[in-house]
Formats: sequence, structure tokens, C-alpha cells
Amino acid sequence: MLWFLQIALRQLFQPGKRFPAFAIVSILGVALGVAALLVVQTVMNGFGEEHRLRIRESFGDCVVLTRTTITNPAELVKKLRKDDEVLNAAAFTEGPALSRHGQFSGVAFVRGIDLTVKEQPARPYIAAGSFDDLDDGRVILGYGLAKTLRVNIGDKIELWSPAMAELAEKGQAPLPAELEVCGIVRTGFTEVDDRAAIIPIRRFRELWAMGSQAHGITLRFKNPNDAPAIAARLNVGSPEMHFVPWQEIKKNFLEAIRFEKTMLFFLMFIITLVASFSIGSTLFSAVIRRTREVGVLVSMGARRWQIVALFGIQGLMIGLLGTLLGFALTGSILAARENILTIINKIFGDGDMVANVYQFSKVPLHYDSSDFIVAAGFTLLVTTLAGLVPAIWAASRKPSEAMRHV
Amino acid sequence: MSKVLLEAKDLKKSFSTAAGSLDVLRSINLTVNEGESVSIRGLSGSGKTTLLQLLGGLEAPDAGEVLIDLKSQGLVSPHLHLGHGVGFVFQNFQLMPELNTLENVMLAAKILGTPDAEFKARTLIESVGLGSRLNHYPSQLSGGECQRVAIARALINDPTIVLADEPTGNLDEATGQQIINLLLGIVAKKQMALILVTHSREFAERTQRQLLLTKGVLSPG
Repeated sequence: MLWFLQIALRQLFQPGKRFPAFAIVSILGVALGVAALLVVQTVMNGFGEEHRLRIRESFGDCVVLTRTTITNPAELVKKLRKDDEVLNAAAFTEGPALSRHGQFSGVAFVRGIDLTVKEQPARPYIAAGSFDDLDDGRVILGYGLAKTLRVNIGDKIELWSPAMAELAEKGQAPLPAELEVCGIVRTGFTEVDDRAAIIPIRRFRELWAMGSQAHGITLRFKNPNDAPAIAARLNVGSPEMHFVPWQEIKKNFLEAIRFEKTMLFFLMFIITLVASFSIGSTLFSAVIRRTREVGVLVSMGARRWQIVALFGIQGLMIGLLGTLLGFALTGSILAARENILTIINKIFGDGDMVANVYQFSKVPLHYDSSDFIVAAGFTLLVTTLAGLVPAIWAASRKPSEAMRHV
Repeated sequence: MSKVLLEAKDLKKSFSTAAGSLDVLRSINLTVNEGESVSIRGLSGSGKTTLLQLLGGLEAPDAGEVLIDLKSQGLVSPHLHLGHGVGFVFQNFQLMPELNTLENVMLAAKILGTPDAEFKARTLIESVGLGSRLNHYPSQLSGGECQRVAIARALINDPTIVLADEPTGNLDEATGQQIINLLLGIVAKKQMALILVTHSREFAERTQRQLLLTKGVLSPG
């Protein structure tokens, strides 16, 4: 073993010493900084991923819109389904309507969906009832709208479409559509949950008197992350249509999540920086304490770079072990996150915030290897520099001066 | 006729102090032959340690030069060969507290890449009477034992000259006597030159030549 590596390891973990305080406290400091950084990043990634998934599942991977209605949606759906990247395509209709249940009423944003297509937006977020029960006499409501109308599964609501208003203007007396509530969805997006009413597209067309037309087409892709590129490709040659990938549907929201994550990274990185500064100051005092030893090593022929390496390695070792322990700590904290959250909720009496505010059944996680690489890289760099600065100072002293040092 | 091993020519050294420049060494001329032992005495602060550091290449003189015969390759400046050819023994032993006896002695060899470091270290430790203390750390050794380890460490690279800076300064009289016996015995046996800085007239008189450092100049003492 290289002599300076041997001494560096011995100075960190002194033989015969049961509790190498300096090493343990320094390594723990770095580990806590790294863990804080990674726990926040992983949970933020989890929230981001969960939100991205919700956007896709609530709105589709891509939405095809035109300036007016799509006159022959069946042909377009058929054409789009032939594309290699497209898993499924389904026409939809949408429009506002007045909904009523007894004395309670509200504006519903009604969406007509193709019942032959199973993978429909919002389907995974059914909170009560069943998506499969939907037929021409039934409706699925958003959680907020159901609350406004005070309805439960099995209750009946009335729906007035703009087409009915037109008939009324012409002196006719159309009857409202009476629909039984067969499901309630809760996506977590207020704009969907507070207004959504889902009915079969056939029924929608009937109520809106719009023949076989559609307002748009939702697409499912094999690789949803490539949605912008696929959408752009599909859009070529069809300037009258607008292919909106899911990343564009809630662009500001996704940007806000990304920005939040970046800001938190820098805030948490300061913690690691503080830990590294404490290592720097502790190593500095250790180097000063060992100034005479440095002089002796030089008198035995040690080179300056070897003296720098002797103390630099200690900073690197602290960084390396602290980072590894930080990784383990991150895994442990995240594995116990539900218990930790329960304790926090109990202490602050906030109830289940994750479920109430975000509609997530548990704290979401998403491990991103790049976060770990960046955290390890930054930490190793900072801790090594923290060790190198006093090391360079020690190595720059004349051996005779160093040996006079008391 | 013995070969000249170390030659110091008109060495000068001064230090800046708050009160102005302090001339510690005014004009030092010294020649040490192969296998010769020389003692240097002087009052505290007379510049003995500074002189030893100049001779060993730990400090550069303001004027003059030091030449050391290294491995019979002619006279070479010690600054270019720190550690080679010169073995240091310090008053405070200066052992690495994290290394045991064997490792402390081996360290000097490892730094210079001397082959057979462990074999040489074990032999030297045996020769200084610490064969049973190989795995003991400096904190587990007495002052005399620490100085024995330091002597073994100074000799492991087969130096042609040993510079000992008050090696008995921190030891009681009896232990000091043992250390001087050991040091003089080994250098005589290995035909090494020795420059011994000491306060003790008794120890100084055991070397072949005695010198006195007064007012920055060496004179026979």
C-alpha cells in the first residue's frame, strides 16, 4: 500500500481507538447532506412522475384538435391507428351543458367517449362505481361536480345541452336528458374533477345534434415520452389539425414542478456544502496539529504532492464513505416514508395530506440515477477540495519551519 | 586517508525578527570525513539546530554551500537528495503516532522506495533491542524506546551520515547514556559519519571531534 494512503487511513481510523470521532462525525455530516439532497430529489421526481402520469391518463398522450369539428372522425381514427407508434386512437366530443339534481345545479363539461375503446382518459381514476357500467342512460361525473350536485352512485341527474336551448328558442319544449350516475372520477386536476361529465359519444352526438362529427381525437402512444416528436411527425401534411402532446397540455404545471425540483436541489446542496466546510475546518486543525509530522516526512524525502495526497485522500475518503452512507440512508428513509409521514401528520395534526391534497395513495417516488451521480460527484468534489486546501498549505511550508511548529 | 563526506563552505544564515535581522550563522566551515563522529555544542539559541538543518538540506543557507558525498558519486547538493544519504534523529523522536514500530521504521524506506523495506526494518529493530515491540505504537513505548525506533528509522536507507539533534534531550541520564552508546556503536559498526548536536559535554567527549558553536562560528571545543 502507498505510504501516504496508509497514513491517511490510519489518521482517519486510528488503530486502538473505538470511536474515531473526527471520521464518524465528518462522514455522518456528509451522509446527512447527501441523504437530504436525494430524499427531496427522489420524492420530487415521484411527484413529477405521478403528475405526468395523471396528465397522460386524464387527457391522453396526445390530443388532435381542429379549428372546427372533425367531419369524418372514423376515417381519421382508422388512419392514425395504422401508425407504428400509435397504440390506440379514439374520437371524442366535448361541450358545456347545464346539469341539475333536484335543487342543485352546475355547469358540466360533458365529454362523449367511444365505449369500444377501453383505454379512456380518466378511466384509472374511478373513485366510485364502474367505468364499464357506462351506457346511453348513464353518466360518470367528476368528484367535484358530483359534490356540487349532491349525488351518489345510482342517483339521476338532468342534462341540458346547447342544442336543447336552440330548440327552446324555436318554441319547442325539449325534455332534458335524464342520466343515472354510474361512476365518479377523481383525477386530482380540479378543472377535470369539478366539471367533468362523461357519457357515450353516440349519446353526446344525439344530445348535441352533431351527426357523426367529433371535436377531437385522443391518442395513446407506445412510448409516451416521445409524444412531442411523434405528434410533430403526425402533424406533417395536416396543417388544419393541431396535434398537442401531453407535455404541452399542462406545460406551465410541468415547468413549475421542474423549477421547484431545481430550486430544492440548490437549497439541499447548501446543506452538503456546509457539511463539507466543517470537514475543511476540521481537517485544517488536524493539519496544523500535524505540522511537525509534515516536516519530518519531508525530512525523510517525501514529495510535496505526496503530502497533499496524504490530507487530500482524507477529504476524499470522508466524501466517499459519506456519500455511500448517504445513499443507504436515502434508501432507508424512503422505505420508511409512510411511517415518517404518519408521525409528521400526527405531530402536526394535518390529516393525510398526501391523500387529501394530492389524491395519491402514498408518497410517490422515482429514483433517477442521474440525481445520484450528480449528488455523488458534487459531494466528492467539495469534500476533496475541503481536504486539499489545508493539504496544500501544509505541503507549502518549509520542513525546518514545520518542525519548529509546536 | 579518509575520504571527505560532508563539506560546508562559509555558510551564513540569518532570520528576520521584529527587532531586525538576526545573524544566527555567520561563517561556518566544516568538513566531516567518512566514518567520523563530530559533536557540536552550544548555548540554547546558538543555531545548532539551524546548522544541522542546513547540513541536512532541510533549510537553504543565505550564502555558502553544503556538499555531501552520496553513494560515492561525487559531491552533490543535499537539497537534491533529501532523505538519501542523510539520516535524521530528532530530540522529540518525531514518530508517526498512527504507525507501530515496524511501520514507523519502514516508512522512511517506503518514502524513498528502498527495496526489502520490511526485512531491513525488522533487522534494524532487532539491532536496537526492540524485537519484541514490533507491533507497539509510540504511545505504548517509553521515551528511550521511541528514540531507538527513531534511530532505526534514520538508518534504514543506509545513510552515509547521521545528523542527530539532541537525541538525549528528552531522556533521563541513564536512558540518554544507552541511546548514545547505541548510536555511536551503530555508526562505528556501519562506518557512517555522525554529527551529534548536544548540550552534554560528557556525550560530546565520546565523539572523535568536538566543536563549539558560539556567535555563529564553529570552533574546537
